[in-house]
Amino acid sequence: MTFPVHAIKSNFPIFTHRPELVYLDNAATSQKPLSVIQTITDFYTKENANVHRGLYELSSRATKRYEEVRKKVISLIGASNQNTVAFTKGTTESINIVAYSFLKKKLKAGDKVVISAMEHHANLIPWQQVCKESGALLEIIPVNEVGELRLELLDSLLDKRVKLLAITHISNVLGTINPIEEIVFKAHKLKIPVLIDGAQSVGHYPIDVKKLDIDFLAFSAHKMFGPLGTGVLYCKEALAPHVDPHTYGGGSIKNVEFEETEFLDYPHKLEAGTPNIPGVLGLGAAVDYIQQLDIHEAIHHTKNLTISFKDKLKSLGGITLVGQAQNFGSIVSFQVKNIHPHDVSGFLAHANIAVRAGHHCAQPLLESMGVPATVRISFSIYNTMDDVDKTIDAILGVKKFWS
Amino acid sequence: MSSDLKKLYSDIIKRHQEAPFHFEKKTDMQNTIKAYNPICGDRFEVYVDFDRKTINQLHFHGFGCAISKASTSVLVKALEGRTLAEAIGLCENFLGFINKDLKSNEVLLQEDFKAFSGVHDFPERSDCATLAWQEMKKFLESRK
Ligand SMILES: Cc1ncc(COP(=O)(O)O)c(C=O)c1O
Repeated sequence: MTFPVHAIKSNFPIFTHRPELVYLDNAATSQKPLSVIQTITDFYTKENANVHRGLYELSSRATKRYEEVRKKVISLIGASNQNTVAFTKGTTESINIVAYSFLKKKLKAGDKVVISAMEHHANLIPWQQVCKESGALLEIIPVNEVGELRLELLDSLLDKRVKLLAITHISNVLGTINPIEEIVFKAHKLKIPVLIDGAQSVGHYPIDVKKLDIDFLAFSAHKMFGPLGTGVLYCKEALAPHVDPHTYGGGSIKNVEFEETEFLDYPHKLEAGTPNIPGVLGLGAAVDYIQQLDIHEAIHHTKNLTISFKDKLKSLGGITLVGQAQNFGSIVSFQVKNIHPHDVSGFLAHANIAVRAGHHCAQPLLESMGVPATVRISFSIYNTMDDVDKTIDAILGVKKFWS
Repeated sequence: MSSDLKKLYSDIIKRHQEAPFHFEKKTDMQNTIKAYNPICGDRFEVYVDFDRKTINQLHFHGFGCAISKASTSVLVKALEGRTLAEAIGLCENFLGFINKDLKSNEVLLQEDFKAFSGVHDFPERSDCATLAWQEMKKFLESRK
């Protein structure tokens, strides 16, 4: 069966409003289907009320729908207990919570945190900072020339002093899909908890936190067809009591006295203050949208586009692909000889092709690969072969202009 | 190729980008100005040979798009040999031109400056054009 890309594209109103748009910056944020947008406007239009507050119908309805999104999320990531899902502002906040409200109190001078060289700044800076504050060391799993983790070095990096391993499932720069099952397995042999940065994978690739035995999974709604400003921190049950509240306030407490406060259990202890209710409901609608797709068909579609794009790109000549891992997602980073990535993306923008140029919040990675910046193209379910061809044509135009 | 893109990448800009003026690392210079844009990853360093309120020589090195590279090259060429006051004036001139808020429309713009007029149609590129100029102006003002 061919993938119904045109039907899918018609679910995304931005392409009705901007039929000329070729959107290839999906790794930055995906577009939103009508069902997600409608869910958010419906909430404000018909059902606006706060959660966990009033006894009236609207409020209890908001609470019920808000809580139901946890169930949707666990069915997406393979968890079984809805109380493993805390709502946050996004991947960045989720990782900061683990760094500051779980890890920090355990870290002593000489302890270690292990990450990889291909982490987004969001999965690097929080660890770097808690390590600095506690005298612990940040150890880096290096990346080889094709952009894969050098896992042969993992055994020598892991030991009893490692208090956490944090790794991305899919690199937002190189497109590399990391073998997280193997990594979690090795870490767990030494009882090291593992955080997976799922920003680029959740919703697009199957992930099963139970089967993989993942301890923490962080991701953002906005990269999986959901709204901006909402995300998730999944925490396995056994570790949940060890995560402390991150911000303090109402909604996260059992009992408050002037001297003492008793907090609710995970996830509510993390959700102080009025939460982003429409954001969470929008996330629920995004999960519904994803679950009515055939995820394997979708992967097949974006993989086809990626492979075709890479092939056509290489045949233009003067192209360097940055990242050529065996196992890759729908992200392609490259350089055009003698033309700065910004100038390439500027030309593409002029042809209504939205791509990203720069270091993609992974400055140390690119520096270690000797590349100051790249052009990045990332495909999603609504992209077509026509998008690929238009982009290739435009790149050819850039090359001609500068030659 | 559309005409506004041709205007953006004018011949003067292309020339400066291909053959930048005094494009050379000078680690022995006492004053190094860092013109970094963390958003796009542009990183230039401008090396200033500066004494008693005069800029003797300027060099620059680094990595960035054609617009930011050409504008840094133009800066180096325009400011060399200038007094502090003249150099600040030129910075104000260039920045005002790019940001469309020249205090007086009588100022005479150098040809090299006018080459950047295409940026007016691409406001998202004005940061590229002004990157080194802003840092240079800050530096010069700290030496007043
Ligand atoms: C791999 C990865 N991790 C983390 C993030 C940060 O996500 P957010 O900005 O939604 O917090 C991103 C977003 O670009 C990403 O690609």
